[in-house]
Amino acid sequence: MKNVILFAGLAILIFWYLTFSASRLDRLHHRVETSWATLDSLLQKRAAIALEVARSAITDPATSLLLTASAYQARSADVEDRSSAESVLSGALGMMLAERESIVTKSDQALLHELEELTDKIKIAIAIHVEAVTRTQLIRRKLVFRLFRLAGKAPLPVTYEFEADAI
Amino acid sequence: MIDRTLRIGIVCPYSWDVPGGVQNHIRDLAEFLINNGHYVEVLAPATESEDLPDYVVSAGRAVSIPYNGAVARVLFGVGANSRVRSWINDGDFDLLHLHEPAIPSLSLLACWAGEGAMVGTFHAAAKYQKAIVAIGPILEPVIEKLSARIAVSESARLTLTAHLETDAIVIPNGIYADNYRDGVSRTEWQGNTIGFLGRFEEDRKGLPVLLDALPIISRFIPDIRVLIAGPGDSEEVLEKVDPQLRNRVEFLGKISEIDKADFLASVSLYIAPNTGGESFGIILAEAMAGGAAVVASDIPAFADVLGNGQFGALFESENSENLAKVIIDLLRDETKRRELAAAGAVHAQRFDWGQVGVEIFEVYELAMVSGQKVSLTSENRSWTRLLGRD
Repeated sequence: MKNVILFAGLAILIFWYLTFSASRLDRLHHRVETSWATLDSLLQKRAAIALEVARSAITDPATSLLLTASAYQARSADVEDRSSAESVLSGALGMMLAERESIVTKSDQALLHELEELTDKIKIAIAIHVEAVTRTQLIRRKLVFRLFRLAGKAPLPVTYEFEADAI
Repeated sequence: MIDRTLRIGIVCPYSWDVPGGVQNHIRDLAEFLINNGHYVEVLAPATESEDLPDYVVSAGRAVSIPYNGAVARVLFGVGANSRVRSWINDGDFDLLHLHEPAIPSLSLLACWAGEGAMVGTFHAAAKYQKAIVAIGPILEPVIEKLSARIAVSESARLTLTAHLETDAIVIPNGIYADNYRDGVSRTEWQGNTIGFLGRFEEDRKGLPVLLDALPIISRFIPDIRVLIAGPGDSEEVLEKVDPQLRNRVEFLGKISEIDKADFLASVSLYIAPNTGGESFGIILAEAMAGGAAVVASDIPAFADVLGNGQFGALFESENSENLAKVIIDLLRDETKRRELAAAGAVHAQRFDWGQVGVEIFEVYELAMVSGQKVSLTSENRSWTRLLGRD
């Protein structure tokens, strides 16, 4: 009798641990998805602003060309190439911002101000997303999670090699 | 930018009854958010009294436990846990901001119980400790529920990565820089004066280190005066000072915020000889904002605030001779002192709530993207119902 109770208790404990771990992983997957969605939308917005800047009188024709090309590339890149494409856009925007003293009109400055605010947000969003991805990858490597296939059919999140000092 | 009124719940791990860096930070943050039109509740251990600001909700009286080499006044246990749960349940919050969720107190309980947009702020900067690594596996599933992590300094961030393998965004603690900008230099505090502010009876504030340096300093600068502001028993401290030097030390008692601004504007040097246990050097940021040239011990928290010596001079912690040397050098070189003070005054703007508050709010916005309210976590719910605890 004693053994039965002990066994039942142990079984409940193991079952609890497994459901707990599964919901823990589920939450992490959810976090990766939302943080990517946020980051993605911010990056899309940045590409849109870059195009707007390229079309405005702020930039010279050569910079415009560079900005337009890199913004289009960043928008159309698939998941694996996304981070390198975004880095190229960051570089182009950085070059443009380096000469910002020559910009005088109010509407142009408002545009650049918007870009700067967006950049701050992107930095935070990157930090949040990278953290979520590494956490998830770390946990999915653990034995319990692999043994009981707690990840189900969810794909392993991809690491994005964003440079920490993007822009 | 979100412009609707948010309901924000902040959890303070330490007793609201005693002053401290974390508590002050939370108070200023809560007031910043309220001034920006949001609804804020702070859950903290506190004795029920009429002095509590109306945004503070007491979770019960704190207990003192030794933690990390100091006595921490925290709160946990079955009663506290159920209070945290009902606070989250009834609060209808858009976001929870948990301070120090890695120490055994209310924030950890809230992080365990909550589900949704949660931001954690880590204040402590500690040396690598096996004990914290050992409890890592217990903390991990809790800490990873946070949507975003903030560390108040680079050293707090490194502490976090070393112990819990998780990264954080660095946003410093805030000050109201404007409060210190308009200090008036008073003649009675001018001259070769060095200032010290704080509860000087506590050894970790480092007054003994400064007083040990006094004999050396007075040999080179005979008209040196040490001005000490803060609550405490001055007699006891004076007994340890060489009788011939006692007239070089003056106690001002506890001073008001306005006096503090004047104090910082008047003294030639502001000294922070703290020997450790600081989560952040907020007083250094205030001193810089007040236009003082700052000399501080090179503990990690202080080195961070002073940009590793760019915005204030550092000396080897607990080394009185080194402190004396730094003080003498600076008192003899007025140009250098002024340059240091000027650089510090500019740098202090970095810590102004105008900037710090906006940065914290940006993190809130990104943590809240799912748009769901904070609720009690679902994974425990079925189990607690099964066990008849809900």
